Amino acid sequence: MKHIRSLLILLFLTLSSVVSAQNLADRVVEHEFDNGLKLLMIERHTSPTVAPYILFKAGAVDESDDARGIAHMLEHMLFKGTKTIGTTDYEKEKEVLAEIDTLGDALDREQAKGSKADASKITELEGALRTKQEEAKQWIVSGEYTKIYTQHGSTGFNAGTSVDYTIYTVELPSNKLELWAMLESDRLKNAVLREFYVEREAVKEERRMAVDTRPGGKLYEQFIAAAFTAHPYGMPIIGWPSDIAMLNRNKAKEFFKIHYAPNNSVMVIVGDINIENTIKLIDKYFGDIPSQPLPDEVTVREPEQEGERRIEVEFDAEPQMMIGFHKPTIPHFDDYVLDMISAILSDGRTSRFYKNIVEQSIAVSADSINGYPGARYDNLFVISATPRSPNSTVDVEEALYAELEKLKTEPVEEKEFKRILKQIDAGFIRALSSNAGMANQLAFYEGIAGDWRYILNWREKMYEIKPEDIMRVAKTYFKKSNRTVATLVKKDVETSEDMVDEEESE
Amino acid sequence: MIQKHMKSLIGIITLITCLLALGVIPTDAKPHEELEFEPIQFKPPVPQKHVLSNGMILYLLEDHELPIFDISGLVKTGTIYDPADKIGLASIFASVMRTGGTISREPDILNEELESMAASVEIGMSPEYGSVSLSSLAEDIEKGLEIFSDILQNPAFREDKLELRKQQAIEAIRRRNDNPIQLAWRNFSSTLYGKDHPFGWYSEIEHVESITVEDLQAFHSKYYHPNNIMLAITGDFDTDTLIMQLETTFDGWATSEIELPKITEVENAPVPSVNYIHKDLPQTTMLIGHFGIKRTPDFPDFFALRVMNEILGEGGFTSRLMAEVREKHGLAYMVGSLMSMSFYTNPGEWFAYSQTRTEKTAEAIELIINVVKDLRENPVPSDELQRTKDSLINSFVFSFESSSQIAFQQMMLAYRGFAPDYLETYTDNIAGVTAEDVQNVAQKYLHPDALTIVTVGNQENFDRPLSEFGEVNVIEIKQPDPPPTEPIPEASDTDIAKAREILDASVDAYGGLNKLAAVNNFVLESNNTLNTPGGQMELEVGITLLYPDKYRQDINTPQGTISMIYDGEAAFATSAMGIQPLPPEITTAIKDAVFRDPIHLLVHLSQSESAQIQFAGSEDVAGSPASILVTEQPSGEMLKIYISEETNYIVKLVYRETEQGVTLNKENIYSDFREIDGIMIPHGYVQNIEGNPYIDSRSTSVKLNAEIDESLFEKPE
Repeated sequence: MKHIRSLLILLFLTLSSVVSAQNLADRVVEHEFDNGLKLLMIERHTSPTVAPYILFKAGAVDESDDARGIAHMLEHMLFKGTKTIGTTDYEKEKEVLAEIDTLGDALDREQAKGSKADASKITELEGALRTKQEEAKQWIVSGEYTKIYTQHGSTGFNAGTSVDYTIYTVELPSNKLELWAMLESDRLKNAVLREFYVEREAVKEERRMAVDTRPGGKLYEQFIAAAFTAHPYGMPIIGWPSDIAMLNRNKAKEFFKIHYAPNNSVMVIVGDINIENTIKLIDKYFGDIPSQPLPDEVTVREPEQEGERRIEVEFDAEPQMMIGFHKPTIPHFDDYVLDMISAILSDGRTSRFYKNIVEQSIAVSADSINGYPGARYDNLFVISATPRSPNSTVDVEEALYAELEKLKTEPVEEKEFKRILKQIDAGFIRALSSNAGMANQLAFYEGIAGDWRYILNWREKMYEIKPEDIMRVAKTYFKKSNRTVATLVKKDVETSEDMVDEEESE
Repeated sequence: MIQKHMKSLIGIITLITCLLALGVIPTDAKPHEELEFEPIQFKPPVPQKHVLSNGMILYLLEDHELPIFDISGLVKTGTIYDPADKIGLASIFASVMRTGGTISREPDILNEELESMAASVEIGMSPEYGSVSLSSLAEDIEKGLEIFSDILQNPAFREDKLELRKQQAIEAIRRRNDNPIQLAWRNFSSTLYGKDHPFGWYSEIEHVESITVEDLQAFHSKYYHPNNIMLAITGDFDTDTLIMQLETTFDGWATSEIELPKITEVENAPVPSVNYIHKDLPQTTMLIGHFGIKRTPDFPDFFALRVMNEILGEGGFTSRLMAEVREKHGLAYMVGSLMSMSFYTNPGEWFAYSQTRTEKTAEAIELIINVVKDLRENPVPSDELQRTKDSLINSFVFSFESSSQIAFQQMMLAYRGFAPDYLETYTDNIAGVTAEDVQNVAQKYLHPDALTIVTVGNQENFDRPLSEFGEVNVIEIKQPDPPPTEPIPEASDTDIAKAREILDASVDAYGGLNKLAAVNNFVLESNNTLNTPGGQMELEVGITLLYPDKYRQDINTPQGTISMIYDGEAAFATSAMGIQPLPPEITTAIKDAVFRDPIHLLVHLSQSESAQIQFAGSEDVAGSPASILVTEQPSGEMLKIYISEETNYIVKLVYRETEQGVTLNKENIYSDFREIDGIMIPHGYVQNIEGNPYIDSRSTSVKLNAEIDESLFEKPE
């Protein structure tokens, strides 16, 4: 219900250490069902609770151009119930839902004509749609699916859509695991995407809240759109307003049919469970969902950037900035090196950005993240910073580049590596202290890297990195021609008003 | 079926699950209603309480699952104890307590030590408590504790780290209107409590600027004593050994009588008000509410209120506000309500919130108010009540998910004076809430006739005028004052010595200190081209400077002469329009301008013992290398002086100046040096503002030690 675009950062921040990695390796139990569903489990009896997560390898990047935003919209719609939950009589409700689809489509098409639209036709269609929506209400039990979970003591009941995947999350008292299996399998087998057009309005509000009224959200959307010209990574997960306006139930069903297959998903259950019983339980509820041919991966590749791109975004807010460099994704070795570089630049109070930019009071914040906006395809190394006035984004940019230049010319010291590696190991240990955190990481790496052991392998690779690697990688990617720079600039409210006045007086 | 008076948590949690397992199954049951659930047998571990000999209270809970060690502590203090003229002190104190290092550890060394063992120590500040924490691997307990204790006992509050934190705080103030939620919330609180109350006030730049190292030290010695601190300690340790270690680590830290300042309690009498803040956005952010409750241990209605709030707007997707505003009408993504249950010195806030498209603003406000009214007027249906209670009872187990959570919770309850069996009776108390209780508390604590409404958005496109809800008070948002001065970097002795050398060479190049110091006044006439928004403008300007501090500027305009006069104390303008005093901002600018006059600058820097000057590198000016010297102007703003390495003349000055509330970067470039009475005087001068040319000036006449009348600087009667 919210889209997680910061998930990747969190992962890299928390994915820092293992009771040694070995402890983790010993504790994960894997099982693959005949239909291709992959189940990962960790038994942890600290409290009688369990975190079952399901991830589908289906995100905004998998959408077609005429249905941008549908991965996220579908995620919302999957909370609307099934043929038995959320309705008192699906057979009767079904017919009205089909009529609503027809009216909604006609209305969307008319409204899309903009100034050429027929206003009376719109009013007529709106009226008819409202009548049918009212009619459907006699069978709809609004919010029933959610209410069941809540009544049984769920926490963290949510879902998130990223460019790469969609994840459904919840934590429950551990004796309720079967309830979860029943409800989740029901929505995979019998989901009914009712109340579509009302939910679409809520999604529009979500976009206004997260992007249109939030300076950071607006800057990010424009930045990513400028950085990618060919690859769908440049498109907003939630969709542009005109994309959302044309989403419908058929597009959502189509996306669901193609992507929500057991062999395109990862299930992770961490907590107070018995491994054998859990496997039996999952088999009972999910084992009969057939596997299906998987959709093609995205084949378009972002062409090499031919020169620096700079954009300004005007907003009623103080300045901030983002800089992105194109680079390969996992499992390219340079991706690991860039993870290390990111730690050197911005992890903690000993990091270079903190010491040389924040503590020098040039910026109030300066951060780096490797791997935006996703990890299935080649992505960006992103730096974001907030200047401290009177320093401008120009001053901050200069200071950031000075740090990148140092990486190219000065070998990183042994003690810097050692400190980061120690943090990585400690992070692995701490990550195990949360059912939800562990479930999230395992689902992500199994789903996106193709194997949860990426986490273990990642740690080994981090230990292999040499100072020369850092210098080589910095020189390869931190080039002017490979970067996109976006700055948020204050919209000059007074000036624009003055201009209006002048025009009026002429 | 329901066993009353449970004594232990095992029983309670077993009860919860039975409650659902044995519920009556209707005949047309859906499949999930036929599921049966095994009862859960769970006895959450209980932290051990221990009081150290210095009075510090510990809650210890061993947990050997992972080799980690965590301390999370509370200090009896809070932002509510900020002095009214130094709002923001407590939170700045907390940051600098951590970033400023300790007496024996420089900040860099402290950070290095902690991060190289993947440990962290953090200090925080909330309204009614301060927080301290340590997190380390179990193998580093000893070292971790030693550093933790050093920070608690011996923070150094280094000046430069305070300065940095103040600059960051000021930047945050400058940015506080960027985000509509933050903007709405700040104004909701200040409307409700008033700006004179700690729950309603907020920090301004002058508050931050007034905070000194002594303030931080005083705050520390007032509140940070072992008898005023509680620690929750969890992880892979042995309790007895750890207690001994703590006795040693904190040995010698003296207890002290602490008298907490009296906090005025706000008068809980809601006054309705409708407030509007203009921001040109496509969505309106709204907060609608009034005072909530003061949650002392003896507060009687907590459990009924907990259930009521859950039903109203705290129960996530199943709450009424969510169902009505989002699920039914599609008028929000984020909608709900919040009643603060954590404050004990004052009533907290209660508000409903929504972010709704501009064109539906009034409709959303109305829907929200109606949901509130309905909860007062009608009893909650039994299935909704049961579902809500089940939800609270069943999810209660998540309060015991980790040992750190369990120990912290126990400590927090003790901090706030709750009975030790509070948690044990929690689920029974929830189970006992009736529909009547819910309606009673709704009537007692929700007042739809006395709402404070705060909206941030663009009312031009509201569906209906806001005045429908009451007389509208427009809150003007003023961009906070300009940023403060840039700090002058700390100089090494070498930089200072080098600066003196360059300065001396420059003084010689200008004609020597004796000649310069003997100049009594300076009279200049010039032709100036100004680039103004309306196009280029030609102006004749005369300047008379009587050293050290009297200044007069006469500008010939088509409307007559305008003079700006500074008599060494005050500044005023005279023109055909009469005499006008000039604002402090201009007085400051003039003082700085007089200071920057090359003759004054050279003499002052050479002669004054207090003048600080340092070398700060080299840069090319107009293609030839110049050394940069840095000093401070009377305003406190930094001045960069560029002295040509070839001629030793001052070729450029770089500084900042505030005009009408806006601080601008300016540079003056000097050229065409000619000798007048043995002293080199530039005859060409260009001023750039924010990198754009503003003035191009050519001197037509320059006189030194002219006969001038001191009355030129007097205010005409």
